[in-house]
Amino acid sequence: MSTSKPSMPSSRAVVATQALGVAAITTVAATVWLGLVVTPPDEFMGNLVRLLYVHPPMAWVAFLAYGVSALASLLYLWPRTRAEHFDRLAGASAEVGVVFTGLTLVSGSIWGRPTWGAWWVWDPLLTTTALLFVLYLGYLAVRRVPGEFQARARRSAIVALVAFVDVPIVYLSVEWWRSLHQAPTVLNPTTHKTYVHGSMAWTLLLGFVAFTLVYIWLVAHRYRLAELQDLEDTAGLEMALAERRSEGMA
Amino acid sequence: MNGYVEAGYVVILGTLATYAVSLVARERAVRRRVGAESGKDGAHVAGGLGATPPAVDDPGTST
Repeated sequence: MSTSKPSMPSSRAVVATQALGVAAITTVAATVWLGLVVTPPDEFMGNLVRLLYVHPPMAWVAFLAYGVSALASLLYLWPRTRAEHFDRLAGASAEVGVVFTGLTLVSGSIWGRPTWGAWWVWDPLLTTTALLFVLYLGYLAVRRVPGEFQARARRSAIVALVAFVDVPIVYLSVEWWRSLHQAPTVLNPTTHKTYVHGSMAWTLLLGFVAFTLVYIWLVAHRYRLAELQDLEDTAGLEMALAERRSEGMA
Repeated sequence: MNGYVEAGYVVILGTLATYAVSLVARERAVRRRVGAESGKDGAHVAGGLGATPPAVDDPGTST
């Protein structure tokens, strides 16, 4: 296993994160402007269609975050690739994923109230998404259970892989069960038909790009925070050991 | 427009902004603490976000 000590981020990494932050803010601002001002209202949904530019990207980023977390967990569990940074990446990505899953649920609820007449329905897609949210909250709780680093990381990686099983279930739930929630809007995997065109399609695409950039920026900062916390723990431990040694010599 | 649409955008952007600011604030706080601890040992650590830190700062080896 790679046991390299955590270090302060290089100046190049800091500059790259800052550039990424600027790109994320710019694309999100463009998405909001296009979504609220430029694109036309929908023939059937009216202005409510404007939630299309933010709600599906939230769900996409949540899936992406859990995918990255599962992959990093797998790489941590695999003896040849086991390294501390995979554990940090899995934790950072899952935490950001929980934020995006929460936003998927809330924005969906806000959209559902005027569309379905209810803030919440026990629809298969909504229920499995809520389960996903709870599963990853559990994963984050498991990560906080105190213990020796390797045992904690291994336990967390297994939980992340178990929780990830729900991701394809969420995605396919609209196909498997009779659902109130509509099937994929952008590209139907069965009919291969697209339902979004023109400025609406470009704005939706930009929304996916914008929130993916936000995800990368947030994970970069969450990863760096975890690295600094590990550095702080290591420093504290080494100082305590040094004090003990000096006490022993005195 | 529609109150629901504005509410959706405000909730999403507000939550992401709050989370981003909290991450940066926590990162700065830990960096400051690590810097203070390293300072006791005579090591140098960058003070804030965006500053140029050293490539590796190992307080354990700087005593």
